[in-house]
Amino acid sequence: MHIPDGYLAPAVSLALAAPTLPVWGLAAQRVKKVLNNRTVPLLAIFSALSFTIMMFNVPVPGGTTAHGVGGTLIAVVLGPWAAVIAVSTALILQALFFGDGGILAIFANCLNMGIILPFVGYGTYRILAAGAPTLSTRRAVAAGIGAYIGITVAALAVGIELGIEPVLFSSNGHALYSPYGLSEAVPAMLAAHAFGASIVEGLITGLGVAYLQRRHPEYLTSLRGIFAPDVEAEGRPSQRPLWQFGLATAAAGVAVMGAIGLIEGGGNPGRMFNADWSKVDWPSVASMLLVAGLAGLVLVPTAYLILPRAVKRVGAGFVALAVVAPIGLIAPGFAYGEGHAQDVKLAFGYVPTGLQDLSGIFAAPMSGYNLPLPFFSEANAPLWHAGIGYEVAGILGILAVGSVAYLVARLLRGADGAKPPISAESGT
Amino acid sequence: MTAIPAGRATADGRIGWLEQTVGGITGNIEHAIFTERHARSDGWLQRRDPRAKLVGFLIAIVAASLVSSVVGLALLYGATLAAARASRVPFGFFVKRVWLGIPFFAGIVVVPAIFFVPGERVFDLALGPAHLAPSWNGLAGAAIFVGRVGVSVSLAVLMVVTTPWADVLKSLRALRTPQVFVLVLSMTYRYIFLFLHTANGILLARKSRMVGRTSGREQRRWITGTMGNLMSRAFKMSNDVYAAMLARGFTGEVRVYSTYRMRVADWTALGVTSAFCGVAILASRIVT
Repeated sequence: MHIPDGYLAPAVSLALAAPTLPVWGLAAQRVKKVLNNRTVPLLAIFSALSFTIMMFNVPVPGGTTAHGVGGTLIAVVLGPWAAVIAVSTALILQALFFGDGGILAIFANCLNMGIILPFVGYGTYRILAAGAPTLSTRRAVAAGIGAYIGITVAALAVGIELGIEPVLFSSNGHALYSPYGLSEAVPAMLAAHAFGASIVEGLITGLGVAYLQRRHPEYLTSLRGIFAPDVEAEGRPSQRPLWQFGLATAAAGVAVMGAIGLIEGGGNPGRMFNADWSKVDWPSVASMLLVAGLAGLVLVPTAYLILPRAVKRVGAGFVALAVVAPIGLIAPGFAYGEGHAQDVKLAFGYVPTGLQDLSGIFAAPMSGYNLPLPFFSEANAPLWHAGIGYEVAGILGILAVGSVAYLVARLLRGADGAKPPISAESGT
Repeated sequence: MTAIPAGRATADGRIGWLEQTVGGITGNIEHAIFTERHARSDGWLQRRDPRAKLVGFLIAIVAASLVSSVVGLALLYGATLAAARASRVPFGFFVKRVWLGIPFFAGIVVVPAIFFVPGERVFDLALGPAHLAPSWNGLAGAAIFVGRVGVSVSLAVLMVVTTPWADVLKSLRALRTPQVFVLVLSMTYRYIFLFLHTANGILLARKSRMVGRTSGREQRRWITGTMGNLMSRAFKMSNDVYAAMLARGFTGEVRVYSTYRMRVADWTALGVTSAFCGVAILASRIVT
């Protein structure tokens, strides 16, 4: 995320000083007013800490590593203004001393990682942790989510800063600075962070706050009283069970989906996701859900019991997915990218010739993810028949894919001698 | 100081990320010592007043990002190399350090743009439905981009390599940077090395107790524990440091005694640098 020199036009680099310099001045004032001479060693040591955190490479699921910034963690402990100074100092040192990030780009880097990141992260943390006791799990989770959002927004800012370069500065048709426009730079930065570095930052911050709660709770209360006296941080230690967080996450997911559905349906609850729900035969849906629920009650524990130890949890999870698969049958219309040629024709009024030619060549043995028996796929068969067909097809498919993967792994291992499998370190 | 070989491969050919981290930390410490060594040798840039040097390098970096042609960048890079030679910075170290490392990433970043930029094509290789056709415009843009990043990084490296850290800080103060920032910067610099040593020690202690491999989950748990531990040490240390500062009569005011004097040679060097940068910018405007 450190922008080197040469990526940004000097005009942009200097323009970014306009928001950065006043915030620095304000931060210095705020921190100095709140604290006496103790400010200096405390801030210096926290800058050094942020610098050290930026040097730790943490493994990310997917095989790569990424580094955190620690801005939100420092903001949670010392307040956002102190975090501005601490992270900015670390960034200036990196640029001057280790060539990490450019010298002209210091303002840009400090704006993204030193100002936007701690303020967004801290703001999110304050909203999510409002009213929670100091030692509650909610505070640690809120800090983790705040850090995730903070660094992702900072990445968005980097994407925008890089993306406006080719729009503003080009000569003879070629870009003078960073060559990618907004439509490439912003998604690239967002994707790289949302699925990598942001997860690391969220984990570092959440687990770091949890560590402080467990081992050094005084840092979360006494220091906050000095740096941010307006914030009350009193309360009894309490633990919130994990299932409540799971439930809250699920509720948030449903709410987001509902909002998207309403937007797509033009605000009409009867046309969620722009589909005609009045065409759905609800009694047959209910019977299908009942059958699916019963199947799940039997199949998932059975899978957990009979599967070998190494794949118990994963296998049971896949079976559960197969059990809920027929829910898709309720929706009128077809899933994106999975449509048959006829569906495509219905929706768009024409069939691309390439698709028409191809679809005749290979008729899958379980086309439509259903079994080719009249009981399951007859045109006027009850919906729950099709539902069972879906589930059986799904489980057969999972078994087939699993066996192929197992065979390939066996072959590779056999060819490689007695070496342990590659995935020995994947603990997640 | 413990010297640990950087990025050593484990038995099955993978490079463990812990070793990578240790290697990175140790490498940075060693690099820091290396840097101060060049700053103390007697060369042209080392004899200049730090304030003149700071301003001169800032002008040169701005010029590097203003020139818009390969000619201007070549002029600037030639001057940078000459200055490095006059300052007794080893040529191989200086060129390799810059061009092997940092613009390499810039180069990878810019490769796709060569093919997407519209314009006359250098060649057009048809691979089935896809065409491999770099455009002249894309190539020119990529060359200028990589060159600009390389020259900017060279200038920054040359400045840091020829200036002791204390002088950089004092000249920042002379250029009216707020005192709090300079003070925090100078103290941070010292504690970074202390923290790196501590982190290095913790990693070494863990490695020496480890047999076999651990899961990613265990590694993550360990790393966050270590960070929390470092943080609590930071608190204790800041209390001790503050007590030590108080005991030595710290009242919140910092007095930096500056013995710097701008001499004729310094003014001349600054003037020549500015004039040369102006010429480079003009040349890149005329020769396109």
